[in-house]
Amino acid sequence: MSKVDPSSIPLLAAVHALGALDPAEARGFERLLASSEEARRILVEYREVAALLAHGAPSTDAPDPGLRSRVLERVARTKVVRLTDGALPGSHATARGIRWALAAAVVVAAGLAGYAATLHRRLESLGAQLAELRADSTALAERVARHEATLDAVLDPGVELHRLTSPTSPAPGIQLFLDRRRHRALLHAFNLPPAPVGRSYQLWFIRDGIPVPSVTFNPGSGGSTVVGQIVVPEGRGLSAAAVTEEPETGSLAPTTPILLVSKLAP
Amino acid sequence: MVDSNSSIADVPDRELVRRMSQGDEAAVGLLYDRHGAVLYQLAHRIVGQRADAEEVVMDTFAQAWRDAPRFEPERGSVGAWLTMIARSRALDLVRARDRRERAAASAAQETASLPERPPADPAGAVELAERRRRVELALGELSLAQRTAIELAFYEGLSQSEIADRLDEPLGTIKTRIRLGMQKLREALGPYRHERGA
Repeated sequence: MSKVDPSSIPLLAAVHALGALDPAEARGFERLLASSEEARRILVEYREVAALLAHGAPSTDAPDPGLRSRVLERVARTKVVRLTDGALPGSHATARGIRWALAAAVVVAAGLAGYAATLHRRLESLGAQLAELRADSTALAERVARHEATLDAVLDPGVELHRLTSPTSPAPGIQLFLDRRRHRALLHAFNLPPAPVGRSYQLWFIRDGIPVPSVTFNPGSGGSTVVGQIVVPEGRGLSAAAVTEEPETGSLAPTTPILLVSKLAP
Repeated sequence: MVDSNSSIADVPDRELVRRMSQGDEAAVGLLYDRHGAVLYQLAHRIVGQRADAEEVVMDTFAQAWRDAPRFEPERGSVGAWLTMIARSRALDLVRARDRRERAAASAAQETASLPERPPADPAGAVELAERRRRVELALGELSLAQRTAIELAFYEGLSQSEIADRLDEPLGTIKTRIRLGMQKLREALGPYRHERGA
């Protein structure tokens, strides 16, 4: 990454506050933030401005009077899971998923801890890198938060675990953690070959016999990926989940044969 | 717990977040009273449906509840923090769901069926209305092209390259529009911090 021209900091900060920097520019600017107090200051100002745009949204209606109590109910139900928690809730149906999630979390936590230790040693010898380390720590905290959210999504006693398997090959697979009550799901794909260039895998929910399009995704270099906060269609006719290969932007109806499938019997 | 006898306006947003981080659920209610309506409007603008907008608001406060211990005041106001969570959740939802269903939703029908509700916090409502007026005034000072580029980024989550493609304009032109537009907004709104009781 080439060095950022200081005169371009306001431009980058303005666009970054809107979340509109292209990925490579965003990464470069994030690195700059680690070492430039001025960049951080300007970004905070532009973030405030960007957030005020919410007040420019058309005034269509008022929130339902009952929304407040539902927000509080949701908060009351929101568990803040810590990695050091002892007893685990759950049923036999989710036990393997829980073990997987915990194992992944432990591995990630160990990796993060090792990384943090390395950064700490560097900090002692290179005081100039202090700002960068702070930024890294924030990123680590955000990653841990994401993993906690993932654990939240799979540890709830009401969550069902379904496995999508291939009719022809046993190697690739998908674990689908389905929370019918909240209409949310989390997908863990593994041993999945990379999709061809310009193509992605797409998840479908089969409701009343009709495929309802869901998220598109691509596995990482190890053939695995995790996608959270998947919206599950409402209604009682949910019978199966399936995966096909589609254009990168996804399709409104499947255009290729089913690769992986699982029934979603409650 | 939040003292119900003290004036709500006396408790800064960041103090409410601190209390949330200590497990005070009442603080969430106060924060909702201050920011819930704006977050709902924003979510509704992005997702286009009442039920989804409400889901976004619930997700937003649930995430804020989880993330409260990690909130850093030096990185921005509580209002900006909540707004960016809501925007992110709303964009995630739009990307994930069936766009055909979204297009079929009739905003007019939904609006017609909504009961009007008097604001629970009159002082907050006045402040909210004033803030909206200031933002609309500032947005009115932008050229249509600048406003369009900024709104595509904020409400639709497009990158500047995607905006250039969408509008069939050179990338450099889009960058300039966003920069000049945001600069104008910063000059007009910069001192107007997005926070109550700061």
